[in-house]
Amino acid sequence: MAKELMKGNVAAAEAAIRAGMDFFAGYPITPSTEVLEHLALRMPQENREMIQGENEIASMNMVIGAAACGARAMTASSGPGISLKAEAFSYAARSELPYVCLNVQRWGVGLGRLDSGQSDYMRETKGGGHGDYHHIVYSPSTIQELVDDIYEAWDVSEKYRCGVVVLSEGFLGQMMESVEIPPYKKREKPLGWGIDGSGKIGTRQSPDTDTLVARLRERTALIQSQMQRYENYQVEDAEYVFVAFGLPARVCRDAVDTLRAKGEKAGLIRPRLVWPYPVQAFKEVNPQVKGFISIESNDLGQMVEDVALASRVTSDKRVPVYCYAHSMGTPGVKMVMGKYMEVKNGSMKEVF
Amino acid sequence: MKEIIFAGFGGQGVLTGGLIIAYMAAQKDLNAVWMPAYGPTMRGGKANCVVKFGETVQEKVGSPIMEDADILIAMNEPSLDYLQFCKPDATVFVNSNAVRQDYDYPEGMTVISVDCVHLAQEAENMKGQNLVMAGAVIKKCSLFELEYATAAMCRFFESKGKGKYNDKNIKAIECGYRAVS
Amino acid sequence: MNVIKQAPEIMYKNNQFCAGCGHGITYRLIQEAVEELGYKDNHITVLGVGCSCNLNTLTKGDKFQCAHGRAAAVATGMKHTKKDTLIFTYQGDGDAGVIGIAETLNAAYRNEKITVITVNNSNFGMTGGQMSWTTLPEQITTTTPLGRDCAQKGYPFHLPEMIASQFTHVAYVARGAVNDSKNIRQLKKMIKNGLEAQVKEEGYSLIEVLAPCPTNWNLSPLQSLEWLEENMLKEYPIGEFKKRGV
Repeated sequence: MAKELMKGNVAAAEAAIRAGMDFFAGYPITPSTEVLEHLALRMPQENREMIQGENEIASMNMVIGAAACGARAMTASSGPGISLKAEAFSYAARSELPYVCLNVQRWGVGLGRLDSGQSDYMRETKGGGHGDYHHIVYSPSTIQELVDDIYEAWDVSEKYRCGVVVLSEGFLGQMMESVEIPPYKKREKPLGWGIDGSGKIGTRQSPDTDTLVARLRERTALIQSQMQRYENYQVEDAEYVFVAFGLPARVCRDAVDTLRAKGEKAGLIRPRLVWPYPVQAFKEVNPQVKGFISIESNDLGQMVEDVALASRVTSDKRVPVYCYAHSMGTPGVKMVMGKYMEVKNGSMKEVF
Repeated sequence: MKEIIFAGFGGQGVLTGGLIIAYMAAQKDLNAVWMPAYGPTMRGGKANCVVKFGETVQEKVGSPIMEDADILIAMNEPSLDYLQFCKPDATVFVNSNAVRQDYDYPEGMTVISVDCVHLAQEAENMKGQNLVMAGAVIKKCSLFELEYATAAMCRFFESKGKGKYNDKNIKAIECGYRAVS
Repeated sequence: MNVIKQAPEIMYKNNQFCAGCGHGITYRLIQEAVEELGYKDNHITVLGVGCSCNLNTLTKGDKFQCAHGRAAAVATGMKHTKKDTLIFTYQGDGDAGVIGIAETLNAAYRNEKITVITVNNSNFGMTGGQMSWTTLPEQITTTTPLGRDCAQKGYPFHLPEMIASQFTHVAYVARGAVNDSKNIRQLKKMIKNGLEAQVKEEGYSLIEVLAPCPTNWNLSPLQSLEWLEENMLKEYPIGEFKKRGV
């Protein structure tokens, strides 16, 4: 199929339809609103269900209801809206429901701003609601990856009975890029569960607490081993390695090329999922590496903690870990190259 | 890689102007990115977008943000703030009706003054000043052939259900194209 | 032996409610209505948080435990997925009318084809008898230890009247009570009406049920019936606030 120039949010919404989404509920919030708008037009055309909920709390609870009955259900929002959904995430996890949540991240705490950012890394990767649970968290860098991730999301979510978050960014949602939209598909095998009103099937949840805990632990370990996804670039001989996901990862890749052209041995680890974190990627890095530099679009540095953890568990050496937290927007190539040189000449202090 | 900033006031069609250029590139199977200013910027009446595209089918667009532009299109004077994001040898297209003649540009840049208002009048398409500018850019920077550019633009507007203005829009782009050498 | 009437098949024999509690009767009536409408094998009870959680041990039918107050939203998602299934929420007055007031009202506002059944016992039962928006003036609860001072804490909340008066497009709204056999028979008709309104795709329906809470009222089961009649029935009149087909 030919490529089309499409807006990230629109492409994401269309990819969800192609992936067999039966139900969507959401509430407008910049910079994610085009998802809701596109689906308001397209879902009825496909004879599927779409509700503009009264808020994000209700929208995510509607998703729970639909998912419990076996629908491929989805919601989308941005930072503050996802906070409201966090209660329902926990309930969905308790019922082991598969669903997809798209977070078109904006910058900041509280109301934040409409600007692009990566402020929600911690919440999405560590749980966010009460109790012990994880989302599987995709971290696309291009609109094509955003589309491909959503297209795959329900297959993975249903396989593990674990919620999926697709971590987009304001800029990725708002920009347009050449993209190939995949064909329509449906769930390949029947779920084998789903409340149908008969009282005989239900959600097939774990019957008691001990079984549930055992199942959660087993599943978490399984996902961690089976879902190691990353792209390593020029890490085998690198002196310093950037670690970045989403849009900053595109910038870092350009920076690696430019730095290499100047004789600097730069490399890049780009997690394609940020939970489970791709610890495996760190094993492929030059054993003599002098430092990891986490490049993030938030204020305090969030992923840097996982970078430190991954580097410690994959190497006996205590490799210094640095962080450049760019705050709102996306850092440019020159900025990132400057940070590389600051690390190299010792003027940036390590975080871990 | 080509990087183009298209900037002006809201209503001057800068987002559409940039998008059409991105569309022309994408229709040639080139990897293209169009990044609009959105949210607070959009609501304040000031608008801009960045277009980046590979010069070969293989070339990918990395960083999508405004940083090192080859071309700045300034539909008004405040848009010249974006000169700081331009290459030292960038080409700057200015709307001569909205930017003063004696503006002090950095040395090394090529400045092309385009009389958007009169050219749009000539095309009998006053709303097509953005297209006049696009025509001038395409010609001056040898981005696309005129025939290809107008055909791609027509397909773009048809896809938005606005194909009925194609004749006027072709005229606007042609006027801009012929105004520069 | 001739069987004149027996418990619905989908009902477990024992429940975990307190002696004299109104939940047991209410849910029995719901299950009778479900069976009579022919939905024994095609219905979902969407459970709120509170004493209604105990229904987990009362019905063999499909049920789903929601977050506190969110049952109407969950039921909405279910109904849009299973349009031919009878879907009703079962919530306390705190769940449907206090923490979940947004979900309850917005589902009514959109005229979702679901049924909300809410049991009003004028207090938060599960957490040990705190003030609800339905708590009566001067009523003593653990958070109104000196009696409810309505000027400070708000006045008794009338959910059915509010919905019927503001969202006139909904299908059916009523309030019943489980204090005596006459009212119980009437309540059964109300519940059946509400569920039937959903089955016939007429729109949203809501039934509030006045029920005693002897444990938190610190009364015997019999005394609590008297208290309900003397106090709650005066504040909360029973009847149909929105009739079907009107």
